[in-house]
Amino acid sequence: MVPILSPFTGRVVPLDEVPDPVFAERMLGEGVAVDPGEGIAVAPIRGRLVVLHSANHAFAIEAENGLKVLVHIGLDTVHLRGEGFERLAHEGDWVEAGQPIVRFEPGRIRAAGYCLLSPVVLPDLPEGYRIQHVTASEVVAGRDPLLYVMVVSHAG
Amino acid sequence: MRDKALRYIEALGGRENIRELDGCITRLRATLVDPSKVDEAKLRAAGMIGRPIRMGNGIQIVVGTHAELIATEINKILRGG
Repeated sequence: MVPILSPFTGRVVPLDEVPDPVFAERMLGEGVAVDPGEGIAVAPIRGRLVVLHSANHAFAIEAENGLKVLVHIGLDTVHLRGEGFERLAHEGDWVEAGQPIVRFEPGRIRAAGYCLLSPVVLPDLPEGYRIQHVTASEVVAGRDPLLYVMVVSHAG
Repeated sequence: MRDKALRYIEALGGRENIRELDGCITRLRATLVDPSKVDEAKLRAAGMIGRPIRMGNGIQIVVGTHAELIATEINKILRGG
């Protein structure tokens, strides 16, 4: 079982409750959302920061074994074009689980009219892997697992 | 990437049909002249994930975590590059 640490400190929210069909319909894979109480997003796994969007509102980390985690801070927040977001790492960096990646201002983002529910999804989960949700309703960034990835069968 | 960009442009009804296009981290967000000109089969063939999200003249297409790169390439082509 591989733990995916919570990138955020806050309340755990099922993807079904995220008002964005791309996440709620699992187009980008299984996962869960967090309603962040603090303005820091950390790396959920150890790996390469393969994408950090120019608006600093979303990033993806890929582990050495190919496992990829996408972290999206708020919904439709690309429209803020970086306002209220600050990058603390660079695209291409090798990062440790728990390492701060983006600092953001929850109050400012909410005041601009954006929903801050932040999906954490596994977009290209290989066949034979399954995720398991945690029972916790509150999580601390970089400390508490948000999901577990399990191998259910060895394909090939 | 250029080949992918060209396929998305065609699937969206051609360059004249794209008024504006941006890349989020996983999706292309476009404003179209005529949304009925979108060819969903071609979008799928180009690599679209799931279904397009339509809102009036707007459309969102999930393409994977490289959406910003594709959007940059599409905009280069749209500007005549």
